[in-house]
Amino acid sequence: MTVAPAIRALGFLSGQSQADAGAAAGILALPRPNRVGDRFRRTTRECLLALAAVDAMLEDGMVGREAIAGDRTALQYVTAAAYAASNREFIERRGGVMHFAYTAPAVVSAEVAIEFGITGPYGILIGGAPATLRAIEQSARLLETGRCDRALVLVVEVFEECADLYARHRRFDRRPLVETAACLWLERGQGDLRFESTRRAGAAGDASRGAERFAAGPLADLREWLDRERAGPLELSGRWRGEHARLRWSTEGSHARGSAA
Amino acid sequence: MAAPERVSVVAAGVVTPIGQDLEAFWSSLVTGVSGISQIERVPVADLRVQRGGEVKKVSRIKDWRGVPDCRATRLLVAAADDLCVQTAFRPLPLDPPRVGVVVGTALGGVEEGERVLAGESARRLRDALYDGPGDRLARWLGARGPVITVSTACASGATALAMGAELLRRGEADAVVAGGYDVLCRFVLRGFDALRSLTRDEVRPFDRRRTGLLLGEAGALALLMRERDVTGRRLGTLLGYGSASDGFHIAAPEPEGRGLERAIASALADAGVSARDIDLVSAHGTATPLNDRIETAALKRALGARAYQVPVNSIKAGLGHTMGAAAALEAFMCLLAAQRGLIPPTLNLEDPDPECDLDYVPGQARVGRPRLMLSTSMGFGGCNGALVLEAA
Repeated sequence: MTVAPAIRALGFLSGQSQADAGAAAGILALPRPNRVGDRFRRTTRECLLALAAVDAMLEDGMVGREAIAGDRTALQYVTAAAYAASNREFIERRGGVMHFAYTAPAVVSAEVAIEFGITGPYGILIGGAPATLRAIEQSARLLETGRCDRALVLVVEVFEECADLYARHRRFDRRPLVETAACLWLERGQGDLRFESTRRAGAAGDASRGAERFAAGPLADLREWLDRERAGPLELSGRWRGEHARLRWSTEGSHARGSAA
Repeated sequence: MAAPERVSVVAAGVVTPIGQDLEAFWSSLVTGVSGISQIERVPVADLRVQRGGEVKKVSRIKDWRGVPDCRATRLLVAAADDLCVQTAFRPLPLDPPRVGVVVGTALGGVEEGERVLAGESARRLRDALYDGPGDRLARWLGARGPVITVSTACASGATALAMGAELLRRGEADAVVAGGYDVLCRFVLRGFDALRSLTRDEVRPFDRRRTGLLLGEAGALALLMRERDVTGRRLGTLLGYGSASDGFHIAAPEPEGRGLERAIASALADAGVSARDIDLVSAHGTATPLNDRIETAALKRALGARAYQVPVNSIKAGLGHTMGAAAALEAFMCLLAAQRGLIPPTLNLEDPDPECDLDYVPGQARVGRPRLMLSTSMGFGGCNGALVLEAA
């Protein structure tokens, strides 16, 4: 059990609300954000979406970027598959065109760290919804032990560039894949946070959801909870590769403070 | 505040270009064996550099039934097999839901993605996602506790060991198999070739003539348990971990090494030790012109005068840079050095760079029995990690 973190803000961009009629079948895609500056000329869509999610989080928190700069901000990045787009581009263009470094999952959080001046502890988890819940729990521990003053949990999932591959795989062809970029800002709170995880045989994704968001599912649920003005207890859950995970805030923790919603 | 739960490295298993079990790996390290050779498994004729630390044949397992034809998974399973031989760990002596798996990787099963794009079955997508091989390893072990994949680039192995220790400290598991892996495939060879990071010469860490790194492949796994639960022999203790982001550039290290310095400071604090206590440093030591100079500067600032008093070695010249496996292999090297009383040399260091003026153990292995060791890692995206390890 960990001290529950307070939710300071959430930036949440979802393909569900921006479905493009021209998008590949089964994929609800997010458009490539525009960002001015020579540094972003070669940046991948998943990196730009990560930056946009942090911008949205700052807007939700009604603060400027200086509020998250420095070595007292921790950054945890989670994705199941966002790197697949740049991997594919690098493989099919036979190298040379795409900067190889962009194929590394670590580069998404690196772009965020560079752009917003974040130099604190970091972690990068690869997996579905349970990995996101674990990242929140780890962030809570970093806060509890004083290793940081604020912790960001960044999740990005993009699918459009590999739509044909997902369509060929029976586990991913049943429900729409919803692209998501989200960033959750946590601070020290009170009350308890309880993380539980069990494993048993099961499908790759979360069959209980109407849409598949891979790692971003829990933050979509959190967005809904915040939109309901924090009504009821906060409990997030998710499945991936046979792991079923659940994260429960005690009521006092979830209401501790924060300006989101 | 109560002292943190101590976590033991009970045993380790490896498959590397210089040995397919821990004893062979250690023997090659101390005798200066090089695993660098012409790459044979994938086409390289179009590449500027065609050598690396390739595992020619994963020979320790004769029967691959039940293990997919995925190189990454097979390196992991081979390393796990070595671990099992040493610990009698398979079948599990513990309750399977209480056994976790944490693996670090820079590339995951990307080679499976290459195969799907080349027209092979889409079923391979399951292993192409970077957490696929870790999931396969857990199934092979019969572990049903937490299964986690981390990808902090070339610091991944350190992150995985630290996260495994954390699972034990907070009671999520009673035993954790943790470490790292990566494979030499077309994808990564082409990528580093394009970056011009690879050398046509020997890999020469901290040498004035160093011109770059060579890649390698490996699997490296440890069995971690809470110290109070260990009854028999063990390799040592994982005392502390620290990480810090450069926030500087996606591919180049921060010129002053401030991120690595913060990671080292954080690891020492986590371990509850000071720089004066460190007896050996296993450097990231890739032999790129930038890395070695920056790392040396960071070590001097982080360790102060102690940096000049302790041996600092790099084992990448003989292995190649094994990416996700590197930090785990280097941690095992530290623990074996403490156990055996020998410090492996930095191969090919013949003409020291004046800007790299620490004691890098050139030439031959050196007699010495370190008690506390620091292992450093740096990766793409400004990922810096540091581990503090203690002799058994």
